[in-house]
Amino acid sequence: MTSQSYSEGILGDLRVLELADEKGQWCGKLMADMGADVIKIEPPGGAPERRIGPFYQDQPHPERSLYFWHYNSSKRGITLDIEKDTGRDVLRSLVATADIVLETFPPGYLSSLGLGYEQLRSINPSIIMCSLTPFGQNGPWAQYQTADILQMAAGGQMAMCGYDEEDVPDAPPIAPGGGNAWHIGSHFAFIAIGAALYQRHMTGQGQHLDVSIHECCSLNTQQSISAYRANGETLQRHTGGQASAGSRQTSQSMGKDGKFLNRQALGVRTPPDRLRALAEWMNTYGMADDLLEEKYLDPKVIADRSEHLNDVLQRCLAAVTAEEAYHGGQKARYPWGEVRTVEEILTDPHWDDRGLWQEVEHPELGQRLKYPVAYALFSATPISISRRAPLIGEHNEEILCGELGMSRAEMSVLAEFGVV
Amino acid sequence: MTEQRALQGLRVLDLSWVRAGPWATRLLGALGAQVIKVEWPAPGSQHYTGRIPFAGQESGEAPNLNNSHWFAEVNANKSSITLNTGTPAGRELLKQLLEVSDVLIENYRSGVLTRWGLGYEAIAQINPNIIYVSMSSMGHVGRDNTYSGMGPSHQALSGQTFLSGLPDAPPAGWGWSYMDDTGGMYGAMCVLAALHHRNRTGKGQHVDLAQVAVGVMCTGAAVLDNTVNHRPARRPGYPPGNRAHWPGTPLLNNYRGPTVAPHNSYRTAGGGYNDWCVIVCSNDDEWQKLVTVMGDPIWAKDAMFGTVLGRLENQEEMDRNIEGWTVTLDKYDLSSRCQEAGVRAMPVQSAADRVERDPQLEERGNFITLDHPVMGPKVYQNPPIRASESLTTSWSPGPLIGQDNREIYCGLLGLSEEELRERYVDGTLWPKDLPSEAYSYLPELAEVNDARQER
Repeated sequence: MTSQSYSEGILGDLRVLELADEKGQWCGKLMADMGADVIKIEPPGGAPERRIGPFYQDQPHPERSLYFWHYNSSKRGITLDIEKDTGRDVLRSLVATADIVLETFPPGYLSSLGLGYEQLRSINPSIIMCSLTPFGQNGPWAQYQTADILQMAAGGQMAMCGYDEEDVPDAPPIAPGGGNAWHIGSHFAFIAIGAALYQRHMTGQGQHLDVSIHECCSLNTQQSISAYRANGETLQRHTGGQASAGSRQTSQSMGKDGKFLNRQALGVRTPPDRLRALAEWMNTYGMADDLLEEKYLDPKVIADRSEHLNDVLQRCLAAVTAEEAYHGGQKARYPWGEVRTVEEILTDPHWDDRGLWQEVEHPELGQRLKYPVAYALFSATPISISRRAPLIGEHNEEILCGELGMSRAEMSVLAEFGVV
Repeated sequence: MTEQRALQGLRVLDLSWVRAGPWATRLLGALGAQVIKVEWPAPGSQHYTGRIPFAGQESGEAPNLNNSHWFAEVNANKSSITLNTGTPAGRELLKQLLEVSDVLIENYRSGVLTRWGLGYEAIAQINPNIIYVSMSSMGHVGRDNTYSGMGPSHQALSGQTFLSGLPDAPPAGWGWSYMDDTGGMYGAMCVLAALHHRNRTGKGQHVDLAQVAVGVMCTGAAVLDNTVNHRPARRPGYPPGNRAHWPGTPLLNNYRGPTVAPHNSYRTAGGGYNDWCVIVCSNDDEWQKLVTVMGDPIWAKDAMFGTVLGRLENQEEMDRNIEGWTVTLDKYDLSSRCQEAGVRAMPVQSAADRVERDPQLEERGNFITLDHPVMGPKVYQNPPIRASESLTTSWSPGPLIGQDNREIYCGLLGLSEEELRERYVDGTLWPKDLPSEAYSYLPELAEVNDARQER
């Protein structure tokens, strides 16, 4: 990885006001790690997401939430009660200096405070306001309450994830964890904002963006809509594999260490040279059976004997670790992957080579903590975490006094008033 | 309503294949970019296989290059040109296309395009300001950079597969290529971020995106829980099914928000495969509202259900009782009753449900009917974005193979009719051995056949 240092990030000229909870903080984080000046505006006392665990050394405290830290790196933070007149005035002053407002309030809430798009546009005509909400600004579900798993239910994720009956009888549809409905929504919010920035560059025009997480999730279901559209198919859930209208395909095998390997079955689409490469790897464990015999140079033999081939492979995979199978298969050009947990990912030197991780300073702890950050290497402007997540109101003085020109005395009054 | 699209004027040369790359450009196309999909329809080539065996043909229809629903959805909002990039004449045309493009996007295995003489260094010689986005499995840097993958193996390697499932069962994983869809999103995000940088500085760059790394980013606080608290993911009660916590196992946060109960799936009336709903109560107040919606059943009055800790500990009994109520109601009826009372609940929806029954997607215009020249009018998906100053709807189904050859080669690059015909004849724009009867929208093909016969 390049060691050159840069004075500005990819989005280094942008200021983003983030009025976002768990639904949109990921979008703000991704922009902040690209160098945008993202100012997180929390209610006095701090954002509710600070109360979500896990916590640093399992100490529940609003300044110890690993969840909050993960989703709020590189941002600055201020506290502001936007339901109070003075708080609204401060927000309006900030809007005049900003490029983007990212908000996740229920539809209509900001307008009711005099802070809707039309009102903000009158302060800053080129402002881009992105409203990321569970179901969008209008429609019968617009005011519904939600949770990550509710979005995965309605969005179509759950109907596709789960188990074959023979593996887990009576299993429910499964919602994968990790907060991915919020991730999916945040990715589209990022794209909407990125496209609006391009348009603003060309035309000078700002705009309001209405992003529905429900629609984001529904779109993130690969073949399901096409399959229904073509043949009216309802997809069946398969253990660790793609939902399909037909029967299951081999998708994961357990190694001798009890860990799983994601793979595909051998068969008509396996060319002889590729089968041979795999057989050579299997042979290093003495488990190639007859797969190195010349008859398998004939594709027809491969097709006819695919059941046997898969039995031999399955026996071999059960006798090696999932990690061995992953590297062995990849070296024979099979796109297999070990089903890993964080432990195995953190110890894979490939990610050190790429600089995926970053040690981030937490001055209060006197410690540097390891975060994932560089999912992509930008040749001119690397992604990096510029600071750990803000403490509650950490940048109140810097922003209110230093940038908006408020005196310390005025800020103190606002604090007494419960505005900051 | 404005006719403007946000990315109008942007030209993207799309060398990507399968799904993740094409999904990135599908979105850019819907937002107004001119996406030129470069294909080579020779049997056995990746683009041929992208259009044919990956299913999505209607039952009884023999697969051909232009009747895959799968392809038509993934490649909506794009142009298609055919080009044999392996010949000098093909290279010359590709070079001309690169000179007039803002973005190149590709998702080959690391090293493949460099071997073909199309790596970033070479392309930057032709167009120094180009934004070149590579989206391989493991990235181009790192000892395993030549490893290849697909959505499911990216999910496995990134920790995404493991965070889905019931405790003490194999991983359930994701029932579709989640990391293709999401990898595609990151491809588009990287393009837009790099464009913003270029608009400000005039500088293009290379972006080396690793799709597996994207999956690692999206595991939530699981990474920090390990690097900071040294907590293993292979532990009792994890992953916790649809719950926030599995009863009878150590009480820990499992990276799906606050640790609360109820937080589960429940069967609903009808008993069908997807007759399920999900209910979450994020505090005691919401629990009491649920009790009211359920009709104040006696079991729910038990003090052990009155607090979040009690509900977490006694989830089995509570969930069994809740399901005794949910099975009496249709999943939509149940969800609206709950929501009207301030209780978080939604139906589990299949694709059929979303197309036929979902009133929200209907009201919001999530689906659009587009007329495909071969498959007729069908429903396609719109981007999940409404914008006050730009159109964001899908505007065309996936292109017919080579349908835009004339417009791009003659209209954009300025080839004469004679030159265009010559490129067909010499095999640059159409494989010599590929039958042409099914492609009457390419009149040049008929002429080419005549020309070849004369020779």
